[in-house]
Amino acid sequence: MRTVSWIAVRVATCAATLTVLSFVVFWATEVLPGDAVGVVSGPDATDAEREAVRVALGLDRPPLERYGVWVAGLVRGDLGVSLVSGREVAVIVVARLGASLAVLVPAAVGIVILAGVLGTIAGMRAGGRLDRILSGVTLGLIGTPDFLIATVLLVVFAVWLPILPAVAIVPAGQSLWQHPELIALPALALALGGFGSTMRLLRASVAQTVATPFAEFARLNGIRGPAYVRTIVANAAPPAVHAFTVMIAGLLGGGIVVETLFNVPGLGYELTRAVENRDVPLVQGLALVLGAVVLTILLAGDIITRVLQQRTRRQEHS
Amino acid sequence: MTARQWVAAVPATLVLLLALTGPWLVGGSTSTPVGGPFQPPESGIPLGTDVLGRDVLARVLAGGRTLVLQAAAATVLGSVIGMCVGVWAGMTHHARTSGAVLRVVDGIAAVPALLLLLLLAAGLPGNDTVVAVAIAAVSVPFSVRVIRERTHTLATTDYARDAEARGEPWTARVRFDILPGLIPAALAEAGIRFVAATQLAATAGFLGLGAGAPAANWGRMVRENSTGLQTNALPVLVPAVLLVALAIGVTALLDRAAETRVGGLGPIGRLA
Repeated sequence: MRTVSWIAVRVATCAATLTVLSFVVFWATEVLPGDAVGVVSGPDATDAEREAVRVALGLDRPPLERYGVWVAGLVRGDLGVSLVSGREVAVIVVARLGASLAVLVPAAVGIVILAGVLGTIAGMRAGGRLDRILSGVTLGLIGTPDFLIATVLLVVFAVWLPILPAVAIVPAGQSLWQHPELIALPALALALGGFGSTMRLLRASVAQTVATPFAEFARLNGIRGPAYVRTIVANAAPPAVHAFTVMIAGLLGGGIVVETLFNVPGLGYELTRAVENRDVPLVQGLALVLGAVVLTILLAGDIITRVLQQRTRRQEHS
Repeated sequence: MTARQWVAAVPATLVLLLALTGPWLVGGSTSTPVGGPFQPPESGIPLGTDVLGRDVLARVLAGGRTLVLQAAAATVLGSVIGMCVGVWAGMTHHARTSGAVLRVVDGIAAVPALLLLLLLAAGLPGNDTVVAVAIAAVSVPFSVRVIRERTHTLATTDYARDAEARGEPWTARVRFDILPGLIPAALAEAGIRFVAATQLAATAGFLGLGAGAPAANWGRMVRENSTGLQTNALPVLVPAVLLVALAIGVTALLDRAAETRVGGLGPIGRLA
């Protein structure tokens, strides 16, 4: 039963963090000076026109009241209306989510497979040649900002080896899923950005398991080959699951840059454009949805890790 | 220092020097065109021209300082706040309060750094200081975590408990029992935060946050000149190489230090 109450505490913490995030989002976009009036009324507006816009948008009311109205709308699933396009923010978010996932899912699957296999091999032979090469490569990848990795890919594939389109222009009426050649470069850029740290976390977890007394006991008892790998991997799994959820949460952040560079019409691309246009309701909606998704992913990861750990512990006791 | 560390240290130091002294070395103007867009290098313009026909060399020289200063300011600010909160959380006996603070800190750490950066920059547009403050804000949670763990280990040693039982004031305990053991970990942590801060500052420039368009910035140069790669790749390549040399140089230097002091870069995971 301790696990159940632990999960309850984690869910409550997650909800509290989301509340704090909603405060930050609201405060940053509405209370700080860069406000929406200038956007809607245009640069040549007179003071009277600005005041009229201010009243029409409800910006003359006290911030706390506006926050209350905004949160009440959130609870009903109403994220407000975009100032620039006039469309509902919730509709935009749902439409953009598909494109984001089309890039994110292949990248995440690629990282899980590549980092999983290479991390296990490198961790099992810590200090070996492959381990040292991978250590250097991942250090380079961690040290390079995502936008540079993406730019390098852009240079290589769009200029020197023009086999893949550099900019994702989706024909009208079709979804990004139908065009794997448009997804390839952004997904690769995202995957390379997340690969370094994930591989390092997995390698550390496997190397730690290899060094435990029970792993040595297994080796001394002549357990070799697949059975030995299975023992190690099963015991290194809980931290690995955690590493993967952190990685996916990080990909959502990296997606902002990669989508902007490759013009993938996803959540991150829309967010940077909304920030440039000072489209306040859209920024608020997108930021909160992105934050909520990240928190939910991390929460799921925490719970899975906990359950896995409990299971290995129970097996050890029985 | 080993040979490998020298290999990493020399380029990183050179880039830092170039970034800090560069604006004084600029000969011409960074914002007036000296030729057509994306001209290849010739005499007078050793790195060619950029998207608006401006001198790339001048812009490279001018575009690093803001970035490095933003990263340094954010690191100092974030580390100081992280030290204060982390040391308090590691020493206090109010387990509930410190637990609650750590939960909140973890919560903030979970939100993508770029998201917070974009939000704060949207609130105060065109301001370089805001970018630095936002970077500091996103780096605090990581510092707090590391400093708290280390402080907690130090505060539960026998000598620290002895001092507490003797009734030493907490200032003396921090000064003589905690800080000596904490400084190496804090320095390694600050170094890691510096690398992350440089990356974030460059990414902020890339996304067009901070000071407005005519100002030169390595991050923004990569973005605004990526359309002319076929004609003159230098305005993209030079700032990119400088950024990579700086980031990888500092990371490689830290990797060994961090390995022994805070358990490697691995557990910290993603930097930015």
